[in-house]
Amino acid sequence: MSGLLRTVGALAIVVGMAAPAAAQQPVPAGHVKTVTGAAYVVRGQSTTAVKPGDAIFASDTLRTAGDGAVGITMRDDTRLSLGPNSEVRVDRYVYAPGEGGLGMVLKFMRGVAVYVSGRMAKLAPDSIRLEAPSGIVGVRGTTVAIKVES
Amino acid sequence: MARAWGGSRGLQLGLIALLLAGCGGKHVSPATPVAPPAPAVIVLLPDPETQVTGRIVVHNEFGSIDVSSARGSLRTTPGTAPGPVTTMSAEDVTRLFGEALAALPPAPRHFTLQFKFESDALTDESAALVPTILDAVKALSVPEVVIIGHTDTMGEAKSNLALGLRRANAVRSILVQAGLPPATVDVTSHGEADLLVKTRDNTPEPRNRRVEITVR
Repeated sequence: MSGLLRTVGALAIVVGMAAPAAAQQPVPAGHVKTVTGAAYVVRGQSTTAVKPGDAIFASDTLRTAGDGAVGITMRDDTRLSLGPNSEVRVDRYVYAPGEGGLGMVLKFMRGVAVYVSGRMAKLAPDSIRLEAPSGIVGVRGTTVAIKVES
Repeated sequence: MARAWGGSRGLQLGLIALLLAGCGGKHVSPATPVAPPAPAVIVLLPDPETQVTGRIVVHNEFGSIDVSSARGSLRTTPGTAPGPVTTMSAEDVTRLFGEALAALPPAPRHFTLQFKFESDALTDESAALVPTILDAVKALSVPEVVIIGHTDTMGEAKSNLALGLRRANAVRSILVQAGLPPATVDVTSHGEADLLVKTRDNTPEPRNRRVEITVR
């Protein structure tokens, strides 16, 4: 048993030492879980087709074609899905409860999307904002569907 | 107060969309007037798993409105306050949002493991959960397993962050030994920042000394 404890202690030290370096790597906001038809992530200047398992980062925009749908699960268990011809930007995503950092801004730019709140909505509901072009949604839970009309 | 967007960013996106569309061969000058922000329909839905309906507040610079009823729905339009709230039929929810709803990932599942007092061995109850956790992982096509260590509020927040990480790593070892693929696992600590039972600082509380596992 003390052997296991020692191993765990050593692991903790290694992780502790690695933490500052890891903090400089971008941490994904979430991962793609479902894809139907054509779905893309727009990151900077590049637009790439997504597949299940792909990481999504803050500042990424999800976009679907006319036959597309995509669903992601974020690190705090928030779920977001887009129907066809839709576009949502993960404008801001910070989830570090231990260090006191929480915040999420999703911009619903086009089409239809569904948001299901996760842990962040329980820990700090005021840190979440769903932005449609003509109105902003504050969430106390749990499920919100938004259609931006064109 | 946060303002609804749709200014220069909206113009840029509009231009990009037009350029990408590339049809008509008509040049778009940057001086093209900004289209007003698009209206939107916002609907509060019951939680897909618990069926509990939460609450949202919708605002823009002209006003604010609460929605707390199942399928409570409203429109936001530029230049006016959001509202009024009406109830959208279940048929219309499916018609408008069916494809997005169908694309929602499965709900994350949560398990809480506790340790025997002053030990790194799981309680019998928690040890019995291990096969259930592995089954939940196997059911997913692209599984992620997040192991989060938590502590009570005894001692310093910083040392509790480290203690939570030690507990989480102990659980990781147990699950990997039981057959969990290590590549799917992420280990972290929330220390005393996410209490199961709310207490004052420096309060011993066994229920807060736990490791939570999320399978999603």
